[in-house]
Amino acid sequence: MKAFRHQGAIAGVCSLAAGVTLAAGMTLLAVLLVQARGVLDFGFLLGAPSRFAAQAGVGPALAGTLWLTLLTAALACPVGVGAAVYFEEYAPRTRATRAIESAITTLAGVPPVVFGVAGLALFARGLGLGPTVLAGGLTLAMLALPTVLATSKEAIRQVPSGVRTAAYALGATRWEVIRRQVLPAAAPAIVTGVTLALARTAGAAAPLLVIGAASFINYAPGTPGDPLTALPTQVFAWSARSQPGFAAVAASAAVVLLALLLLLHLVSLALRRRLSKAAR
Amino acid sequence: MAGEHPMTLSDAPQGVPERPPGAAFRGPETASRSLQERLAGHFFRLCAALAALAAAAVAVTLASETALFFAQVSPVRFFTELAWTPVAEEPRFGVLPLLAATAQITAGAAVVAFPLGLLTAIYLEYYSDPRADGILSAALVVLAAIPTVVYGYVALDFVTPALRNIWPSIEAYNGISACLVVGIMILPTVALLSRSALKAVPPSLVDAGLALGASPGRILVRGILPAASRGIAAALALAVARAAGETMIVTLAAGNQARLTWSPLEGLRTLTAYIAQASMGDAPAGTLEYRALFAVATVLFAFTFAVHALGGWLAGGRARQGSVRQ
Repeated sequence: MKAFRHQGAIAGVCSLAAGVTLAAGMTLLAVLLVQARGVLDFGFLLGAPSRFAAQAGVGPALAGTLWLTLLTAALACPVGVGAAVYFEEYAPRTRATRAIESAITTLAGVPPVVFGVAGLALFARGLGLGPTVLAGGLTLAMLALPTVLATSKEAIRQVPSGVRTAAYALGATRWEVIRRQVLPAAAPAIVTGVTLALARTAGAAAPLLVIGAASFINYAPGTPGDPLTALPTQVFAWSARSQPGFAAVAASAAVVLLALLLLLHLVSLALRRRLSKAAR
Repeated sequence: MAGEHPMTLSDAPQGVPERPPGAAFRGPETASRSLQERLAGHFFRLCAALAALAAAAVAVTLASETALFFAQVSPVRFFTELAWTPVAEEPRFGVLPLLAATAQITAGAAVVAFPLGLLTAIYLEYYSDPRADGILSAALVVLAAIPTVVYGYVALDFVTPALRNIWPSIEAYNGISACLVVGIMILPTVALLSRSALKAVPPSLVDAGLALGASPGRILVRGILPAASRGIAAALALAVARAAGETMIVTLAAGNQARLTWSPLEGLRTLTAYIAQASMGDAPAGTLEYRALFAVATVLFAFTFAVHALGGWLAGGRARQGSVRQ
């Protein structure tokens, strides 16, 4: 499409739009970093929330988000990937299975806050868990599940059918084909999908707010039964406070959250590298 | 679900031929091998059942509590009354102010994101060099990865004060700040999906245009954009669904006053913001106020589902159209 380059008013308008997009991203990060400067230090990372902006910290919220992410991963990954294997490798291609599949994947487009309402009724009230880390983890797992399932299904479908045929021809059973051929070949793409889902749930504030995440927990949750607190809801609580000083605290918590997400993506990248090497 | 029959190759996935008869081709049929085979089958079936159960649980919970709500509040009043005051002495449950606020903010966000996103996609696809492409694509990925509560913080603490320089009378909570920031939030969705719609346009279309002596601008406006229009519309539909379901930005920036207003400088309360703020985990179960949460969530679910279905239909239509073209 080189013929298009540097021609006329349309090129100008499009470059302008691209510039605005880039500027929006830069401004966003700059606002956060400028506000967080001076607040973000080790004391902030480890300290507990406080009535005084100068003493506030994200320790419990950070621990809560780590707990929630672990729980979500532990619940949503096996079920999501396992269900994807079932639908792609086992399930008969009937109208019924297709309807079930599309019903589950439809949930991937449902707003997170709706999952919060469902989680409130099912886990916080229904199972009597109350606003605990476990109720939050179960709710976030439901939120992550459709994404994990849809991306894993796509990953499994991308494995060429010749790989399966060849393995069957060599006398492998279905489980052996899945374990030795299909899953290793699909693993990098599955990891990508899981990372996407986990990053989305780690940053989700709305469902946790609906369940009743607290913003004044001053000890780090040690078990899943402890009261629910998380970084995104902490950012929300501090943003909503009008006292001077809390804007900087909210920005700092937001930077911690972004750093955590970056870390998640980096771990995922390293894992994908290893997996695609192993598959070769 | 499949019945409890022993695993045979006849139910292997389609595309896989029958295993050749005769045990010579198989490995040794040990007890542990067939046990593993059975356990694996059970495990994967269990996973699928759990996933289906989770989806059903969400749907049934929403539906049953909403049904209980409508047993007490007539749907006609729900959709026609003009006030939403669930905790007032004489509570009124008119969803229109919430629905209108969601529609206004979603429309405003689309007005911001659609031109910006589409033009950015055109720039990326037809005008950028590899370096600009890399930087801009990275910026879009970063924008897409930022949690919405962080956008909400920026809307409340940076955008609204900045807008106060233009309109000194702007309220601390207002619609326009939410529109702008939700627009930026859905911008990556519009840009990245529009770009794939542009990519799907056959290059022969451009060649044909050039051969006819059309200018690049003319090819773009009269050739490429019409050909990609369904894909672009699908991108917009998905982005609109995300904007309508967006919670944290509107909760922080647009406030919590349920009211019908046309002024973008005033605060308003969307469906999502009501859910986030009314609940906070302590609406007593079984009360009308608690059930109202589910009714509002169901309205939101229905709205996003409809928009998604529209997007899926448009995207599917594009695929059909493409296959006819070739």
